Amino acid sequence: MDKLTIYGERFDSRLLIGSALYPSPQIMQDAIQSSGADIVTVSLRRQNSVAAGEDFWQLIKDTGLRVLPNTAGCHSVKEVVTLAHMCREVFQTDWIKLELIGDEYNLQPDPIGLLEATDILLKDGFKVLPYCTDDLVLCQRLADLGCEVLMPWGAPIGTGKGLINPYNLKTIRERLPEQTLIVDAGLGLPSHACQALELGYDAVLLNSAVAGAGDPVTMASAFAHAVTAGRMGYKAQAMSEKDVAAPSTPTMGMPFWHQN
Amino acid sequence: MSELGKKPRVAIVGFGLIGRIAALELMDRYDITVFEKDRQDAQTGAGMLAAAMLAPLAESVICSQVLAQQGLEAIAMWPKLLAKLDADVFFQQAGSLIVAHQQDRGDLRSFEQRLKPLDGHHPLSADRRMIAELEPDLSGRFTHGLYLPCEGQLDNLGFFKASYDTLKRRGVQFNYGCEAVVANGCVDNQAYDWIIDSRGVGAKVDNAQLRGVRGEVARIYAPEVSLQRPVRLMHPRYPIYIAPKPNHQFVIGATEIESQDDADITVRSTLELLSAAYTVHCGFAEGRVLSLNAGLRPAFVDNHPRIEKKDNVIAINGLYRHGYLLAPVVVQQALCEGLL
Repeated sequence: MDKLTIYGERFDSRLLIGSALYPSPQIMQDAIQSSGADIVTVSLRRQNSVAAGEDFWQLIKDTGLRVLPNTAGCHSVKEVVTLAHMCREVFQTDWIKLELIGDEYNLQPDPIGLLEATDILLKDGFKVLPYCTDDLVLCQRLADLGCEVLMPWGAPIGTGKGLINPYNLKTIRERLPEQTLIVDAGLGLPSHACQALELGYDAVLLNSAVAGAGDPVTMASAFAHAVTAGRMGYKAQAMSEKDVAAPSTPTMGMPFWHQN
Repeated sequence: MSELGKKPRVAIVGFGLIGRIAALELMDRYDITVFEKDRQDAQTGAGMLAAAMLAPLAESVICSQVLAQQGLEAIAMWPKLLAKLDADVFFQQAGSLIVAHQQDRGDLRSFEQRLKPLDGHHPLSADRRMIAELEPDLSGRFTHGLYLPCEGQLDNLGFFKASYDTLKRRGVQFNYGCEAVVANGCVDNQAYDWIIDSRGVGAKVDNAQLRGVRGEVARIYAPEVSLQRPVRLMHPRYPIYIAPKPNHQFVIGATEIESQDDADITVRSTLELLSAAYTVHCGFAEGRVLSLNAGLRPAFVDNHPRIEKKDNVIAINGLYRHGYLLAPVVVQQALCEGLL
């Protein structure tokens, strides 16, 4: 399969996986392995000072995957910028999945604060992967600032509803052909991931869909297959939809009494 | 008997929940010496801070069927264990109630789907009327829930006090504030017939596979709140339970954070726990905060307990968030070969 590009680096897998909410670290490691992902997201909570979080961090390092730190749980520009800098130090990477929460209950990103924080962090030398809503203009503004990767949501985090607005996502894909687009959040089923890739999205990022499944390890594998299927489906250029049925078997040669 | 007329000597290193149960099981037949790194009045350790819920069915959502089944066995063992104590300790098996606010109903549905079948024990769907019958104080506040009749709880502070008093009377020797070194089958170079290593997270210095999982709890005195049994509230990030203890006290917990940090509870966690409790029962508003605590649960990578035997040393650890749920079974498994 063709490769996923993130700020000039290339990866085989089009599935990015989270490291939270698994029943145990063992199941987390097994599920991550079974997903075939090359990139794992990790959140650095303030409470997790470097030393305090060392044990869990070691478990992540044991996966051997590229780490994408995220700023989950931040509610202000100042907070998110500070945490991004802490992440850069702790995880030794200039990648940051920027998550700035605007609504405490459904964890909807704050688009206005996100633009401000993205601008600051890009200028500070970060490679920003902003988690945003599926708003075309917001995505355009983020791209204008210099984001090479954008991560619009499929649905609110953890809802498992799938792509609630495929039209918006499709528009963003059409209007921003150069950006790497990753559907982040809201997926529940492998078919949701497949649909995102069929729309031309470059990858999906998910956590709850795998960690919250009854059997996370098998579900991780199911998503890996779905992502492959979706990408292949996109590359193979699907037939166009029609309103009128067109027979796949030609009627020519059919006995006249069978034709109307 | 190691010598004629003398009881064999057992050292118990770490006097938390596991150390206490082991001591109670062994006190009649062994000469026991306890080593505990904290001072006697320290309010630390997972067993001290826990809500001491016995919830095998609810926990089956996140643990294996085998562990949940063991939890069910342990509930039956607790009354026998408590009967060894010189004082009464509050224990009940009146079930537990799971409730969810309207916006968290999805979480409740998924929780219900994940409950594993346990021998003869099933969850009951609780509607508005059943909730009102079980917990009159919650009447009208919740319309959907689950009632898990097999579950129970006990008073861990009462257990901690009564176990110490009982063991002291039976002649157990206590060494508090003593960071004992277990090496070469000895404790601080003293030979024992058996050594029980029940140090919890304290054993991390010798076992790199052990990790701490931070948990935060509040203990509240709320005379206006009356609950008959533990109530668990579905929450988007972690289940919050309210366990009613004797004397109008309630343990409200618990956060679960992958961190070795055992420093004081954060403001965020305090707000989350207490506001969740307040949404269950507004009588908590006038309650008094007795304590806000943070501690570490000892866990291995699979979150399953482990018993490791090496010569005369038996290490019991990694009970994670299932200390009270599993300890009687795990300790008995550990001691049954050789000691019991």
